[in-house]
Amino acid sequence: MKAGLFIATAALYAIACILYLFALTRGSIKTQRIPGTVFVAALGAHLAFLMLEAPSPGEPPLADISQILSIASFGLGIAFLLASYRFDVTVLGAFVAPLSLMLFLASGLGSSYAPVSPGVQSAMLTLHIGANILGLVAFGLAFAAGVAYVLQERLLRKRQLSGAFQRLPSLDVLDTIGLRAVLVGFPLLTFGMITGTFWLLRSNGSEFYVSQALGLVAWTIFAGVIVLRVAAGWQGRKAALGTMMGFLFTLLVLVGYAVRAAGGHA
Amino acid sequence: MMRDFMVVGLSHRTAPVEIRERLAVAPERLQQELREIAATIGVDEALLISTCNRVELYATSDDPIETARTARQTLAQRLPDSAAEAVLYQERGIDVIRHAFRVASSLDSLVVGEPQILGQVKEAFDAAKGAGTVGTLLGRCFTQAFATAKRVRNETGIAEGTVSVSSIACELAKKIFGNLEGRRTLLLGAGEMGESAARTLRQTGTNLHVINRSEDRARALAESCGGRAVPYERLVVELAEADVVVASTASPKFILTPELMKGVVRTRRHRPLFIIDIAVPRDVDPRVGNMDNVFVYDVDDLQQVAEENLAVRAREAAHAERIIEEEVEAFLAWRRSLELAPTIVALRKRFGQVADEELRRALLRLEGISDSDRAVLEAMSRSLVNKLLHQPMMQLKAGAGDPDGALLIDAVRRLFAIAEDALESEMPSTQSSPEANLTHLTPATTGTTGESK
Repeated sequence: MKAGLFIATAALYAIACILYLFALTRGSIKTQRIPGTVFVAALGAHLAFLMLEAPSPGEPPLADISQILSIASFGLGIAFLLASYRFDVTVLGAFVAPLSLMLFLASGLGSSYAPVSPGVQSAMLTLHIGANILGLVAFGLAFAAGVAYVLQERLLRKRQLSGAFQRLPSLDVLDTIGLRAVLVGFPLLTFGMITGTFWLLRSNGSEFYVSQALGLVAWTIFAGVIVLRVAAGWQGRKAALGTMMGFLFTLLVLVGYAVRAAGGHA
Repeated sequence: MMRDFMVVGLSHRTAPVEIRERLAVAPERLQQELREIAATIGVDEALLISTCNRVELYATSDDPIETARTARQTLAQRLPDSAAEAVLYQERGIDVIRHAFRVASSLDSLVVGEPQILGQVKEAFDAAKGAGTVGTLLGRCFTQAFATAKRVRNETGIAEGTVSVSSIACELAKKIFGNLEGRRTLLLGAGEMGESAARTLRQTGTNLHVINRSEDRARALAESCGGRAVPYERLVVELAEADVVVASTASPKFILTPELMKGVVRTRRHRPLFIIDIAVPRDVDPRVGNMDNVFVYDVDDLQQVAEENLAVRAREAAHAERIIEEEVEAFLAWRRSLELAPTIVALRKRFGQVADEELRRALLRLEGISDSDRAVLEAMSRSLVNKLLHQPMMQLKAGAGDPDGALLIDAVRRLFAIAEDALESEMPSTQSSPEANLTHLTPATTGTTGESK
């Protein structure tokens, strides 16, 4: 049942990806709603899957890295739906849906991940994980907007003005989404880092992991992006590239955890 | 002759604007004018389309050839002698229907696919209704023309993509800034193209500042476009504050050089700047386009977009022509169904006449026949006619709507020698008979870039 639902969810995400990409490059107005519908169906299947995963009804499945990835993927989908409702940027699904699919598939590799041992579980840990997932979702959205920005700017400079250029939102909208998402994600990441460090100090003493280092790098990048945007008026391509880089580092944090959980003492 | 359609007119295809404007009728005078023309040429169904690109008179008449002739004369009277007749084209019969459908669908427009024409044709239709000159035929023709235009717009990409340099510049600005409301456009120089682009941008809600070496010219231009004139010394400040710059000076050298723009970009603190260089020779050093958050498009870039979009429209126009043919076919089916009724009446009459004649002769030979026997014979002859005609009637009614229904009706008429004058002559027929030495319209492909007003 669970395996079947997993495959169904992944398949729906994959179909949504293809449809979104098609809508970006050559879709007509009539077919605009189809990819969104499939994506919502994928989220529905995903929700059902998460409910099966839940340790007890109503409690989110946050026990190990695989479930965290799964929740993050789901959250990204929901956040995207909210954003596309607010900004009319349905076509960004072409960048969000692949990210959702990737996170979801990564969560499927979970069998090799050891769950967090019950001994170290605490309210602090739940807060830490929750804040980081929300931060990841916000950065994921910023990443998608950033990719779209870089693509759109490139098309504008290369004078390729038919196809995707017509369907992508304006540079201004993409930049705004990127900025707002980072502004939401950054405090969450900061909070996640503080709680994480606190919890780490209390449980393990002073052991320092690669993941923490990567997390710090991501945090510094985002801090830099925000400072430059707010103080120096940075916007556009460089800000988008900075945001994308920051997100990739947050993903590396997760990879680091995954590798460590799998046994390699990273 | 049977009632049929005719159109006489001129358009951007046949006449330059100096001639077209001589015939143009102001919208508020349309009804009045239409009544007068209809009275002059003696028709009860007439419709006048008058836009800056075309003036066309549609009418139906029992003698379309004669009507077209008088209509030509009436219109030609308003033209200068030198231009006279050569600019006027005319069509009759089915070609009128096709032309009306193509006009409403914007296939005959200067800029194929431009959206205004449909509204203008609708206004013409309303005016004609107001003038009381729309009957069954013109009514059906134009309501179907509107439906056709809607189909063409929905089913083809003929109206997609912008094709004028000004509106392309505007679309691009929107793709950079999103909403243009409250943004600032700086018009640099006073070239005609620049002015037109600035005007279009102004219409989308941007504030317009005009800067020019001659301040008088700047002031005059700012006034006419609803902008503000700024002294030339403020160029650098204005560049730093603007979002869109339209450059169209007559300067032989680059005005916006990388050196100048470096300072500007620093003051702007990375805010995006869209520069449209419409000047020839160019005003903007191409290297400026490599700067971060500065986007430069010159007139060739914009022209190229216009041409690409026009090519797309031309491709879609072929698809649209197929839709037009389908709709013309549907119109013909309607007309044929009108013609079916008189054919049937005439056929019954012919059979009835033969039966009556034979009955009369038979009764003459049968002397001393009782009244009841006589009634039996009469009933038999009527019944014979009905039975014999039953199957052909059914087939005729069923086949009349088919694409080759006209052939069927034609065949029946010839087989039973039903002359056209035997049909009730109120009923129309739609056939075109080509005439020599008259300007006719040929479905043309895409026109050049331009905008209809």
